[in-house]
Amino acid sequence: MISTFTNTDANSPLAAELAQRMANRKMAKEGRTIIFRIKRCDGPGKPSRWEDFKVPVPKNANVISCLQYIAANPVTAQGQQSTPVVWDSGCLEEVCGACTMVINGKVRQSCSCLIDDYAPGEGDVMTLEPMSKFPVIRDLWVDRERVFHNLKRVKAWVPIDGTYYLGGGPKESPQKQETRYKLSECMSCGCCLEACPQFNLEENKNEWDSAFIGAHAISQARLFNEHETGKQLKDDRLDVLMGPGGVNDCGNAQNCVKVCPKHIPLTESIAAIGRAVTVRAFTRFFKD
Amino acid sequence: MSTPETPAPTSSSPGFMEKNYFLLRRLHSLTGIVPIGVFLIAHLTTNSSLLWGKWGLRSEGADETIISGGVHYFWKEVQWINNQIPHLLLIEIVLWVSIAFHSILGVYYARTGKANTARYAYQSNWRYSLQRITGYIAIFYIFYHVATLRWGWEFLIPGDAKWSADYAASTLAAALRGSNTDFTAMGVVTSLFYFVGITASVYHFANGLWTAAITWGLTVSAPAQRRWGYVCAMVGVGLMGMAWMSLAGALITPPNEMREVEQRLLDKQKVKLPPQPGTIESRAEESLPMTTVSNQGVSSGQ
Ligand code: SF4
Ligand code: SF4
Ligand code: FES
Repeated sequence: MISTFTNTDANSPLAAELAQRMANRKMAKEGRTIIFRIKRCDGPGKPSRWEDFKVPVPKNANVISCLQYIAANPVTAQGQQSTPVVWDSGCLEEVCGACTMVINGKVRQSCSCLIDDYAPGEGDVMTLEPMSKFPVIRDLWVDRERVFHNLKRVKAWVPIDGTYYLGGGPKESPQKQETRYKLSECMSCGCCLEACPQFNLEENKNEWDSAFIGAHAISQARLFNEHETGKQLKDDRLDVLMGPGGVNDCGNAQNCVKVCPKHIPLTESIAAIGRAVTVRAFTRFFKD
Repeated sequence: MSTPETPAPTSSSPGFMEKNYFLLRRLHSLTGIVPIGVFLIAHLTTNSSLLWGKWGLRSEGADETIISGGVHYFWKEVQWINNQIPHLLLIEIVLWVSIAFHSILGVYYARTGKANTARYAYQSNWRYSLQRITGYIAIFYIFYHVATLRWGWEFLIPGDAKWSADYAASTLAAALRGSNTDFTAMGVVTSLFYFVGITASVYHFANGLWTAAITWGLTVSAPAQRRWGYVCAMVGVGLMGMAWMSLAGALITPPNEMREVEQRLLDKQKVKLPPQPGTIESRAEESLPMTTVSNQGVSSGQ
């Protein structure tokens, strides 16, 4: 069911982007200083402003290591004393999603973002912005709670809680395992939501349950519907995905699949759930 | 960071839109294909016959030019549609209601999105944005098109041409040119609006066909979506060709020349059929047996 879709199909704009990065990496100058143009904000509801910082780039520097330099030397390129730029991070190896931000206009993880790929020359500029679809806490740090809230909406878990031993679970076929493995790599980073034209900033939590749920939750619903024990909650998940903010709200712009750092076949998941809710609608009408 | 408390559930009971959310979404998708898309194909086939009709006439069109043959064939098609298709008005009403439904919900849905092609300039993202833009254009265009040429809102037509089924090609051409002879300035504007309108409508249908297959879950894998994308692109190119042929057919010949062809056909029909047969009154007046009249009625449309 799942294809070996990658974000770097030849001829795609993504392949061109990747080629550009590789070329930059080769020609990166040692001992250079580059400029970070950072969108800053002092707290929720406060206005944003841009600040430039000059950062000397050692070999193999990434965005986080440069942010650490700025934290230690919070002086702008114009020589003004500023405050350390705040960001969020955890694993520093692209598996937790916490450090996601908008770099040079595109969303990605900052920990795995090598400076050589983006700013190979002396004085090159890199822009850093917080994600725009989540409320800013401070500077580059956003509140990703809605990502997890939306996973709860589709009960993205296997229901095994109980008061007694339930015995061994049903057998899982290797084919399904293969499908699920790819889907299970989602790290709830929010890239797919940041790039999606149908997913928009919603600060009012009361609106969350009717606003678009996003590609990650649709894909996780598929992951758990394909699980032999997880499928016990299949109808609950599909009923939510049939309703307001569900899979029908996707407009098929297919940006999600292009920006997903884990190359999760999100558009296939969206179509697979589209098929599942079509079937569910007929059973609901004629049977249930 | 995530805080443990979850939002309080909203107390307001779900409205009509929320309760029937899935049904409305899928009806929106379905109406775009049946009946609207199916009608679009039939409509463009008929209208493009203004250019290919000479060959559609087969031996009958042997001594006609491309232009007169096109007008001739188109005239026959329109006569057939207006005189032979049963419950034509009912079909039209179903179509108008479907278009209104698809438009109103479409605008409502389109307003939930925020285009971001500036940042994510992927081709699929452009198609997403174009789908919405062409939808808006198509609403304006189709409304103008139906209102002026079907509901008789002549005050919106430059030169006040009045469309009639008997003079279908010439009155259409006059409505586009703004006069019965040469293009007026407003006629050029109207013609350009038609070009933009039909182009947008065809794009909207072809791209909608592609997304509908994902919505309904027909194409699941990325290669399947790509394959279906090629099919939709071919459907789109074919229909675009027909749409542009239709417009070209209506624009290249002056209305008064078209009218001569139509008049010839109408006169010929009158000779074949003594005074206006087919109506109840005429049947009574002529006191002809029903069968004879209906046979003639059929032959008139051929
Ligand atoms: S699906 Fe991909 S982009 Fe979306 S949250 Fe998961 S890992 Fe991130
Ligand atoms: S395909 Fe759907 S979920 Fe993915 S970016 Fe587009 S609208 Fe968003
Ligand atoms: S810090 Fe975990 S993904 Fe970057």
